[in-house]
Amino acid sequence: MSEPARESIPPPRPRGFWAEAWNRYRRMPLAMAALIFIGFLAAVALFAPAIAGTKPVICKYKGRLYLPCLAYYNRGWEPVVFARDKFRGEYPANLEAKDPESWAIWPLVFQDPYRAVRRDEWPGLPANPARDQGHPSSRNLFGTTQTGVDVFAKMIHGTTVALLVGFVSMGIAATIGITVGALAGYFGGWLDVVFSRITEVVMCIPPLVLILALLAIVEKPTIWKMMAVLGLTGWTGISRLMRAEFLRLKSAEFVTAARSVGAGPGRIILRHVLPNALAPVMVPITFGIAAAILTESGLSFLGFGQPPPSASWGSLLNDARSNLKMWWLVAFPGAAIFLTVLAFNLVGEGLQQATDPRLREARK
Amino acid sequence: MIHHLVRRLGLGVVTLLLISFLVYGLIRSIPGTPLTVVVSQTDPSRRLNPADLERMKAAYGLDKPWYQAYFIWLTNVAQGDLGRSISRKAPVTELISKRVGPTLALSTGSLLLTWLLSIPLGIYAAARSGRGDERAVSLVLYMLYSVPTFVAALALQVTFSLWAEGTPWELPLFGMTSGGPHAGTAAWLADVGRHAILPLICQTYVSLAWYTRFINTNLQEVLRQDYIRTARAKGAGTIRVMVHHAFRNTLIPLVTLLGLSLPALLGGSVIIEQIFSWPGMGRLFFESLRERDYPTIMGLTLLFSLLTLAGQLLADLLYAWVDPRVSME
Repeated sequence: MSEPARESIPPPRPRGFWAEAWNRYRRMPLAMAALIFIGFLAAVALFAPAIAGTKPVICKYKGRLYLPCLAYYNRGWEPVVFARDKFRGEYPANLEAKDPESWAIWPLVFQDPYRAVRRDEWPGLPANPARDQGHPSSRNLFGTTQTGVDVFAKMIHGTTVALLVGFVSMGIAATIGITVGALAGYFGGWLDVVFSRITEVVMCIPPLVLILALLAIVEKPTIWKMMAVLGLTGWTGISRLMRAEFLRLKSAEFVTAARSVGAGPGRIILRHVLPNALAPVMVPITFGIAAAILTESGLSFLGFGQPPPSASWGSLLNDARSNLKMWWLVAFPGAAIFLTVLAFNLVGEGLQQATDPRLREARK
Repeated sequence: MIHHLVRRLGLGVVTLLLISFLVYGLIRSIPGTPLTVVVSQTDPSRRLNPADLERMKAAYGLDKPWYQAYFIWLTNVAQGDLGRSISRKAPVTELISKRVGPTLALSTGSLLLTWLLSIPLGIYAAARSGRGDERAVSLVLYMLYSVPTFVAALALQVTFSLWAEGTPWELPLFGMTSGGPHAGTAAWLADVGRHAILPLICQTYVSLAWYTRFINTNLQEVLRQDYIRTARAKGAGTIRVMVHHAFRNTLIPLVTLLGLSLPALLGGSVIIEQIFSWPGMGRLFFESLRERDYPTIMGLTLLFSLLTLAGQLLADLLYAWVDPRVSME
């Protein structure tokens, strides 16, 4: 796949398929807006610990520089020295007390996604309101949960969860789907029968049973296991489409030509057919990302997600069920899920219009 | 035709066997059994002593390895017996038949509403294609399509519990009836109707958006055909062209959709029924999964998969029936 973004100035040779597609995609304002929004989400997801957190982004302590905020990505990445000096997660006071020479750059918002901030943890900052008293305010932009955890911080860190789930699980699903579909379509015969049957079986099992059973079998459903399960259950549509594409393309003239010059099946599949079959499956993959984000938040909402403390958007909605008066627990995460799903759907739609030659003909 | 049907049915049976085998293995490997999960939830002092547990396991056939238990279950199903629920102490068929009614009430209501609204909306959108009002309507529908059901359901509940309490707009948020005796059938129906409004909205808006878009796209494709130009040229009005000439030809894909919506009709929506405490099939499924009630889960899975397969077959048959160009061979 060529990098489409660099080809905005028309090069002398005829442009490739993806450059053409990008050119068409660029002219769709809604799809472009959605793409930009996803870029914004990705930035939020990547820099979540620097936007909201209680650990310094970077600090100098006892003569050395540390990045304690990395602990939000992976608990094991928290520098050992802070555990040894008994910080217990409370940085501002401890840094001051244990090394007066120290300095730190703090996240934009001093709030933790996993626990309520205590009184004077940050000099002058009151404790987060708990129970149903946590209306949105200047201190807690999106309010707080029943236990006093800041909703804004949870949502910022939830962006990381949502996007990771979307991309990783769809990556797994796409790999399985493309492999199964390509092999079934290209080789046909008993391989096709077996693969088609497996696809049909996975399609017909109620998704909830499949997902819940797989999640329960792995026990302690961490976010990574959740992604694996969503990937293992979400590949059927892609596989069907891929199979159809391969059935259509394997008798095309360029494939016959490749075979006649002595190309083996591996080379034909990977170099000749796959690049031509990739465009149609990009669309269901994009929609699949939206679906995976939706499923993850739905499972968390039903109480089957990552065990607490979790920063998933759906877990906030789950909190709201026990007290419907806390509207901010529905409005903000609900809007976030909606906008993210909408953005991925719009991008999928745009991709479809940009890559489907039939639609292009129809537009003229 | 017959040959094709027989082949499809044979493949369907194989698929069903595979599905039930897989699901049986899957649910038996979820930690916890119906005996331990339910008891530990109720009261720790009532926990069974090991000897009693073994005795009960033997009584329910849980002491055997799952593949043996599966074949016992399969033999019973072949004789028309879905077994007895372990946690609810009632035959599975009885449980299912109790829950079908509420689910059907919601799903048929939603299907009717969807068709009644989406066909005129779709025709309208296709007729005004490209104009400002059509774009606005399409955009709103497209956005509706991206609203997750659970978000919409919660948002409705929050809205009604915050702002409608005490006003004439107040609607019940949970359950199918308010409980208590009803003055008569009419009063009961009115009560159920009031309870059904919010779940019905939640179940309808997504399919409404989807169907309208579907009809719109198909109509636009049809409208580019030559015979539509001919109809216009001979002086047929917009409404006549749209309804009489164009819409008829979009019925073909629409009819296949009807077949594919069969499983949802009886299966219900787990999330909607769970949020609104609607006593339907989806909720039964969710509860039985939580209680590890193997016979009920298996009965429902069998039913859902059967409906999915039957829906696909029905869609193909209907397709061949409405479109003479398509043959089943």
